[in-house]
Amino acid sequence: MAVEAVAYMDPAGLKAIGAGLAVGLTGLASGIAERDIGSAAIGAMAENESLFGKGLILTVIPETIVIFGLVVALLIS
Amino acid sequence: MGLLQKFTRKSSPKQSGSGSNYAYVTARVRAMKSNLLPRETYPRLMNMGIDEITRFIEESQYKQDVDELARTYDGVDLFEHALNRNLAVTFTKLINISEGELNYLISEYLRKYDIWSIKTILRGKYCDASVEEINDSIVSAGQLSYPFLSSLSEKESYESIIDALSGTDYYPTLKEYDGTNLSEIENQLDKLYYTGLSTTVDNPKSNDSKLFSKFIRTEIDIKNLSTLFRLKNAGVEKDEIADLILEGGLHLSIKEIEKLLPLPFSEFVQSLEKYPYWEDISGIVKTEMDSLVELETQLTKSNIKSASSFSHVYPLSIVPIMDYVLNKTNEVHNLRIILRGKAADLDEEIIRNQLVI
Repeated sequence: MAVEAVAYMDPAGLKAIGAGLAVGLTGLASGIAERDIGSAAIGAMAENESLFGKGLILTVIPETIVIFGLVVALLIS
Repeated sequence: MGLLQKFTRKSSPKQSGSGSNYAYVTARVRAMKSNLLPRETYPRLMNMGIDEITRFIEESQYKQDVDELARTYDGVDLFEHALNRNLAVTFTKLINISEGELNYLISEYLRKYDIWSIKTILRGKYCDASVEEINDSIVSAGQLSYPFLSSLSEKESYESIIDALSGTDYYPTLKEYDGTNLSEIENQLDKLYYTGLSTTVDNPKSNDSKLFSKFIRTEIDIKNLSTLFRLKNAGVEKDEIADLILEGGLHLSIKEIEKLLPLPFSEFVQSLEKYPYWEDISGIVKTEMDSLVELETQLTKSNIKSASSFSHVYPLSIVPIMDYVLNKTNEVHNLRIILRGKAADLDEEIIRNQLVI
């Protein structure tokens, strides 16, 4: 009975789960990485407003992780 | 938001130093450090007249403090108060922006200013200074707030001041004060500060407390060394020196200092060769010294230098913050020396020797 259920599992569903994991986990990872960089950028900006540009760029660098995740998700589905 | 913070602190108590916000504080402190006067400024300031220096300070980061105090004071006093005020505001900011263990360590370190202010108030009362005069000399950069400290200075007698401090750690020492033994109490308070700091970092568990402990113990070493130099040079008896030595040094433990105590000055200087501080002071110390100014500036300089090189090794730790505290104190100290020196028409060479650049 159980064997039959596995045989009938739709591969599209597994693909969707994989894509979801790829985006979700990488999103969490970028979030964790951006936490410290973001707070450091805010700290530096509080003292010197001209650091806004640099702070912003450095903060979004870990965003690449989630972009890779998104690419993988698109490739899978 | 509060709930979220509680949750994150609970879930990772050890990971980032018990909820300390290192990234934020160190980045902010580094930005603050970039606002300090660069070292090229000092030679320029030395060449300026007092009016130009005052103008320079008015246009620098001290502008707001100068503006706010300009109504009450003028001349060199104005700048002295502005510098003190700026120091107090900056250090209180450090306490306010830090969290967790970091906040605890910074507050412990800045207790120095609480002790300074208590000493100022007691000294003021001792020589019958007016409340305004005492209030002007208070630097409320520590945990005790300015309103509290000024309420202390308004009190009539030293007994009521000490009673008002009954809840603090200083009370057991202060209650020994009988109106005459002020210098003894002051030494006791300073000792209390360093023993307090050493117990704070007695068994350092986190990496940060270890670094902080090393920093404090180096400072104790340097304090002990300058005490030794001063008193040895003045030919003070060893028992009297032993009372003033602080415990908990990094390279110079109390046992080693006890060995140095009975030696005459020339042998004492030679026996320092085996310690790492020798490298910095070897060019200056001689077997006979008239002035210790150069030596003390050199010791302070080496302390600041080691802190700033450490701050590059441990970028996300307490070291950059301590480095900033040292540099800021030094800047205020230097500016004060230049201003006071120029106002008193001192020789340029004398002023230059006192500066730590």
